[in-house]
Amino acid sequence: MSELTYTRVFEAPRELVFRCMVEPEHLARFWGPAGVSTPPDSIRVDPRPGGVFETVMVNDADGSRYTMRAVYVEVVEPERLAWTDPETGMTTTSTFTDLGDGRTEIRIRQENVPEAARGPEARAGFRTSLDRFAAYVTSVVNGR
Amino acid sequence: MALADPTRRAIVARLARGDATVNELAEPFAMSLPAVSKHLKVLERCGLISRSRQAQFRPCHLEGEALDAMMSWIDDNRRIWRERFDKLDAHLRDIQGRGADE
Repeated sequence: MSELTYTRVFEAPRELVFRCMVEPEHLARFWGPAGVSTPPDSIRVDPRPGGVFETVMVNDADGSRYTMRAVYVEVVEPERLAWTDPETGMTTTSTFTDLGDGRTEIRIRQENVPEAARGPEARAGFRTSLDRFAAYVTSVVNGR
Repeated sequence: MALADPTRRAIVARLARGDATVNELAEPFAMSLPAVSKHLKVLERCGLISRSRQAQFRPCHLEGEALDAMMSWIDDNRRIWRERFDKLDAHLRDIQGRGADE
């Protein structure tokens, strides 16, 4: 029940889109949202079940850093890629669909999305790593 | 996610207008009371609603702060993926435009 999905179509063949999601030199170009860079030498990818997926995000404005740590749970090139955040248990699955006309659809499904917690004290525990990351990105966008 | 379900979203929308009992909440839905109670339990577990312990009809109350936290989390998360994919789109155009895929 606790899942979110995002879908986007790219004008590129599936093999290339998949490689962009697992190769540091490609990831470095897009993994950080607006105002956030991901230096290629800070990205660790070992795309096999149990392998690490780590990136360091750097705020372009003030240089502050945020580290994302995840572990791959499923790697089926070039169709599916899934990793989990060991801290929160949230799993992100990317499905790559060849649309047959040179375009590729990526569908991101996030499961075990943290639920808001009961009460103000418990809600502090809701500040999971992705939540902190979201707060970090928001502060970047708002110029702070 | 608690808000992924349309019935639960309708319940939250109703509670945004004021506290209500299970019976009142069940009214607009072609749904049994136990089914509605199940949805309320999901909302209660994640802190989006609370129910008074002592009152006989245990009216449900929307926890606005928890709802705001959840909505902003969803918004932030969606925005991260949107911006990430905007950049990936530009990157793919860039590397394919140069005639090489490396």
